[in-house]
Parts: sequence; C-alpha cells; structure tokens
Amino acid sequence: MSVTDLEKPSVEQARATSFYEASARARIRLLLDPASFVEFIGPEQREVSPHLKLFDLPEQFDDGIIVGRGSLAGSPVFIAAQEGRFMGGAFGEVHGAKLTGLLRAAKELKSIPVLILFDTGGVRLQEANAGELAIAEIMRAVIEARTAGVKVIGLIGGRSGCYGGGGLIAGCCSALAVSEQGRIAVSGPEVIETNRGVEEFDSRDRALVWRTMGGKHRRLIGGAELFADDTVQAFREAALELLETTAGFGIDTLNAEQSRLEDRLQRFGACRDAVEIWAAEGVADAASVPALPADQFIELADKVRRIARDAR
Amino acid sequence: MKNWQQGRQARDARIEAGAKLAKGKIVEARDATRLMEAVIRPGDRVCLEGDNQKQADLLCRALLAVDLARVNGLHMVQSGIVLPEHLDLFDRGVAKRLDYAYSGPQSARIARMLFGGKIELGAVHTYLELFARYFIDLTPQVALIAAVSADRDGNLYTGPNTEDTPTVVEATAFKNGVVIAQVNEIVDKVPRVDIPADRVQFVVEADKPFFVEPLFTRDPGAITEGQILTAMLAIKAIYARYGVQRLNHGIGFSTAAIELLLPTYGERLGLKGKVASHFALNPHPALIPAIESGWVEQIHCFGSEVGMDDYIRARSDVFFTGPDGSLRSNRAFCQTAGLYACDMFIGSTLQIDLQGNSSTVTTSRIAGFGGAPNMGADARGRRHPSAPWLQAGGEADPDSSALLRRGRKLVVQIGETFGEKNVPLFVEKLDAIELAEKLKLDLAPVMIYGDDVTHIVTEEGVANLLLCRDANEREQAIRGVAGYTDVGRNRDRKMVQHLRERGVIRRPEDLGIDPLDADRSMLAARSIKDLVRWSGGLYAPPSQFRNW
Repeated sequence: MSVTDLEKPSVEQARATSFYEASARARIRLLLDPASFVEFIGPEQREVSPHLKLFDLPEQFDDGIIVGRGSLAGSPVFIAAQEGRFMGGAFGEVHGAKLTGLLRAAKELKSIPVLILFDTGGVRLQEANAGELAIAEIMRAVIEARTAGVKVIGLIGGRSGCYGGGGLIAGCCSALAVSEQGRIAVSGPEVIETNRGVEEFDSRDRALVWRTMGGKHRRLIGGAELFADDTVQAFREAALELLETTAGFGIDTLNAEQSRLEDRLQRFGACRDAVEIWAAEGVADAASVPALPADQFIELADKVRRIARDAR
Repeated sequence: MKNWQQGRQARDARIEAGAKLAKGKIVEARDATRLMEAVIRPGDRVCLEGDNQKQADLLCRALLAVDLARVNGLHMVQSGIVLPEHLDLFDRGVAKRLDYAYSGPQSARIARMLFGGKIELGAVHTYLELFARYFIDLTPQVALIAAVSADRDGNLYTGPNTEDTPTVVEATAFKNGVVIAQVNEIVDKVPRVDIPADRVQFVVEADKPFFVEPLFTRDPGAITEGQILTAMLAIKAIYARYGVQRLNHGIGFSTAAIELLLPTYGERLGLKGKVASHFALNPHPALIPAIESGWVEQIHCFGSEVGMDDYIRARSDVFFTGPDGSLRSNRAFCQTAGLYACDMFIGSTLQIDLQGNSSTVTTSRIAGFGGAPNMGADARGRRHPSAPWLQAGGEADPDSSALLRRGRKLVVQIGETFGEKNVPLFVEKLDAIELAEKLKLDLAPVMIYGDDVTHIVTEEGVANLLLCRDANEREQAIRGVAGYTDVGRNRDRKMVQHLRERGVIRRPEDLGIDPLDADRSMLAARSIKDLVRWSGGLYAPPSQFRNW
C-alpha cells in the first residue's frame, strides 16, 4: 500500500479490505467518511498502561484502543476500535477508561451515537482487577448513554472475536453486527475445555467453535441483529442500517429482551449442537449453513429470523 | 550339513503360531495382543509402521500390552516416532533399541528418554538412509503396518497415504519376515492392490480408522508480511534467476507464502511456465491456487494430506493416481526424486551457524531428520544436466572446464532473522553440538550441512554462498543477512558492503523490491476458506483448520 492510498480512502478500498485482517486504525479510516476522524488521547500523548512494565511486557502508546469522533454518511458519530493484535485486544485500566470516557461524553451530548469495533479476548490478566472494574464501568456507561437516548452499536469481526467482558458489554449494546469470522461469547473455547473437559467442548475443533460462537450462529439465534460480509464497507453499511433502524431504550425494551431470552432457552435449551438449533429454527439444510457464502446466508437469515426490533 | 533355510523355517513357525488365532488371515482386534505374543520373539527387529503421517496405532497398542515374559527387548526400526505409545514401548521394556528418522511430536520426550538411558539409540537417520538399511543391516523380522482396506486374501489398499508401506513390506516379506496389517475395513474387493496378498500374513480389522496427522496444512491467515517479503525475495533472486522448474518445498510458512504468491507476484514477473512446474512434494493445500492457475504440471507425493483426497482425484493430470482414482504416494520414491531429480530445495530451519550449517535440534528436543537432508543435499551421484544445476555449478567454480564441472543443487534456507518468540535464527554455535556433547554422540545432528547450502534468504536480503570464495567471505555473507541478531551486528561492514557490490548479498532494493509492497493482499488466498473456494469446493479442510 503506498502513501497516496493511505491518504485517500475510497469505497473501493473499503470493499477490498477485509475487516478481519485490517488493523483497528485501518478499520476506522475506511469505515468513517474520508478524513473525518479526529482522535482523542492519541498515541502522541503516550497514555500507556501503568501495569505492563511491571511484567516486563511491551506497552502500546494507545494501549490497544483508539477512540475519537468522525462522521458517517455526513452525520457525527463517536467511535472506538480495539486493536486485537495488541494483547488480544484485552481490556486494561487505560484501555477501559478511554472507552468509558467516550461513552460518558456521548451521554452528556445525548444526540451522537457510538460505534464500538470490538476485537477482544476479555480482560488483561496482568491488570485483572483494574480490567474487571473497567468492564463494570463500561457496562454502566453503555446503559446510561442508552437511557439518555444514545444508540450504541457494536461491530464484531476481528481476529480476537468478542470474548469475556467484551461479550458482556456487547450484550448491553443497542444493536450488533457480526461477520462470520467474528465470535461472541463470554468464556472462550479453551476456558470451557479447561473447566468442563474436552468431552464438553473440544477447543481444537474449530468448526465446533465457530458454529457455537461464530457470527452465523449469533445472527440465527438472535444474538446479533445483522450479519455482515467480511469487508470494512459491509460493516459501514451495517452500521448505517442499525443507526437507522434501532429503536429507543426503556423498560419495555428490557422486558422484551427478557422474554426473548426466556423464549430462546425454552425452545433450544435441550439442543446439543447449534445445527439442531438451526434446524429447529426452520433452516432446511442446517448442516450446509457454515459453508454458505455471505449473500446467501443473509438471504436465509432474513427469511428464517426477523430481527426482534423491540428487544435488547 | 549346514541348514540354509533357518530363516524360512523360523518364519513358518511364527506363522503357524499366529494362525491358531486367525480365520484364514483375519485376526479379531481383541486377539491382536495374543497375535503379537505368538509371532514376535524377544529381541526381534520390528518395524511398527509409524510414518510421517499414518500410524498403525491399533497394532502399536496391542504390542504395548504384551506379556513381557514372552516379548521383550525388541529393536524398533521405524521411520516415525509420532505417537506417545511409540515411546511407552521403551518405558515398559517391550522395546530396548531404536533406529529411526523423525520424531516431531515426541521430540522432547525422546530427548529425556535418551538422557535417562531408557532407549538404546542406534542412529537418527534420514528417510532414505533408514529405508536403505532395511535392505542391508536393519531388515525387520516382523512388520506391523497400516492400510485402509483388505480383501479376505490379504490384498491391501493403502489409500492415498501409501507412504512407507511398500518399502517396509518389500524388506520384510522377501527376507523371511512376517507382515501383519491393521486395516480400517475388510471388503470383498479392494479399490486397488497396493500390497499383494502373498506378502501379508495376518490382517486385523481396527475398530476405528488409523490416525493421520494433517502435517502440511498451513493457514494462509497466519502468514506474516515478513514472510511475504522473504518469499518475494526468493522468487526474484532464486526462482527467476535460475529458472527453477523442478523442486521441493519445505513445510514452513515462508514456502507457503511462495506458493500463494506464484499466481499473483509470480504472474506479474512473467514467470508462469518458467519456474515451479514440477514438484516432489506432499499435496500442500497452499499450492491449490497455483495449480488452478495452471502453474504446476506435476507433483509426486511422499504421502497425502488430510482433506485433499477429492481435490487430488479430480486433478489426476497433476498428481500420481491409481486406476481407482485416488492418490498413490510413496515416500522412498519421492525422496529419491527429491534427491536426484530436483534442482532446488527451499525450506526453513531453526538455527543457522556461521558456516551455514543448520539444525532443528534444540538442547531439549530431538526432532530427527525426516527427509529434509535428502532434499537439501547435493547428490554426488547425479549425472544428468539441467540449466539451473549447471548455472549453480558455474557460479561456484567459474574457472574450471565446463565439461568436467559438476553442477550444484540449489539448497536454500529461508526465514526471518528472528523466528517464533523472537528467537534469533543465526547463532555462533548450534544447540545440536551441545546436545551431541551431552549425549556423547559421534555426530552432531545437523539437518543441512553448510557446504550444501547455496543461498540464505531473510528479510534483510539474499546471500548467494555459491559466489563466496573462502570461509571468511562465507561467514560475512551470512552475517550480512542476519539482521539485528548478535551474529548480524558483529558483521564486518566494509566486507559486507564489498560483498553487496559483487552481488553476493542482494538487498530488497537491489532486486527492485519495496518492502512496503509485502502486503497480505498479495496472497492468492488469505484464509483456509479461500483455498476451499479456489478448489471449487473439492478441498475439505479438517475441523481444526476451519473458522466457519
């Protein structure tokens, strides 16, 4: 990629760029309107983790998360993007505080939505207490922002997926878009295997991991509102659609979400594998779902499961 | 009068003892251990088929369970020490002595057991050496082999992973040995006869298919930009320069990157049809885009690869297949092909010293040699000319008479100056030497000797060792591409500059390569799913490589 390409992002470039492979900065650059991004607490301020050097671990000047503002199709948005290639995108003290601050600013302003580009394995083990606190603060900030009328949209399609506390925060968002590569869960495959045994969950069986936690399953089971192909442009379009369609937030929303989850547990609680759930949802050839190209899957998902607009 | 039939009589006695457990040649799986006790004698030389990929795992477990009063102190002669049970045999005392070639997955434990004296080591071989010794001084009395299916007469179909089986059976069956096969199923008619029935004495039907490890699948998603840069350098400085058509690739990510750059970068350089058309190679999934783009004319395989069966079957113009349509691999023949009929070997290693010796041994691991030394060695018995071979020979020795000058095989080591976990690739002294001293070995386990290495490729550039005229130049050429490792930082800058002016060292810019162009978007496939798409859905990757 030459320097001129870096300066002039285009729709074609966003279409040609894999969201999964792109860095957090490339995702922001290609997702927002060209040259509209302004970073808060950028790497030049060197606001690094105070904990990592105790473990003799390398720091990153932005602590693995980029926050700022920009515009999407001409309208202002706040945006945060985790860098999954730095410590698996894990939440630490500074990392978490940057996202909390962004969400609180959105709450104050009330009218500007927030996009969170998750790419995280959860909390950073080296700063576990600070990280866990950060997760709790972020969840509160998401709910407070939504209560103030702010839409908080999660976009999930990175290398590290969206695990641990990231999965909890995603569950608090107004709406989610996910790609096939994206995974959403709390406990990761290895954690489940370690705690419950390989018979319960074989973390090396990647097809099993993907059909249990991957984007297609999350879309079919209602955990994510939209499925996006793995390009930055597809995520941009998904974000626009979700900003357009997501309803407000109140006690009715929470009641609807509660009954949606109860209904889900009742209908699928006895299923042993995701394929059984898809079949129960009325997918004719459930076993073929993992291999379906994105466009065909979106068509299928739209037919099988209407988006529950009132829940979340 | 001397009895000249003792071996035959002993074999007949073994077969007779085993026959009591068999119906015809078929023995039930639950009787497998009793069969071992009937047929095998203490101290026998036994080949337990442990190949690079397929494993006679049921027979291995059966052997492990024998009554030690009846079977003990065996001398195992097998190419691969792959399963933990292969070493349990020594822990338990079933086996005592070992001659082998490769022990990848068990490399740490085998080192511990050698230190602890649990194993009496004959030698660590290359595949061809061990196969050769099967016919000279390591001929097995009993071979325990694995096949996909057998008919009731004992004809065997080995499936695409034929690998070592024909060689093992040849040596055993024709020198008074007994061959016992485990098969996944017994059928009325085998798809093709890989091993004729008269070489097989007993057949055991296994309750589950023999174990095969997908060893050659490299996820394009894990290829780094550094590896892409080294791949670009290799394509331009070596493939294009010598016009290498007949070659073998190692199994690392750098060579996977080369495979995935052929249809993109290689195409742009106009190299299609001029390089990389004939391979001695396992069916690497990463080669699918190059095959589909018409780069590859033919590939002969050591073994197969999990998930590639349908693709190979549909591309019989490229692969060697039987009348039934499935791949026929053969490790001994393919190793011979790699040694004598290829003009280049290119692969990665873990350590390279100042003479260019390389080794994959570290102080706590003995991975063995497998086949790389056969590929990565100049065959002194070679007599047929080819353009790359003659060109390399000319570069090494420009002043001698062309008609009397040997050619040289191109032996290329490729890697990043700092490998996995930032461990330097270049070292002053190989760990292999320390290991040899500790174990009191006669020879340090060197994978590829420095005098066979012709080129070293790193992200810093390409060192052409053929153009070095003495040991000092050679050392500085190696230091000159060793980057910021200690070896690289201790270079003689003037000398390295001089070598660069002579073209011994070539930097990316000397080759017209901008390191910033080394981008993952250049790969013909960036994920396993892309490979499936390239194959038209014929490649079926195993579950552990799927992210869908």
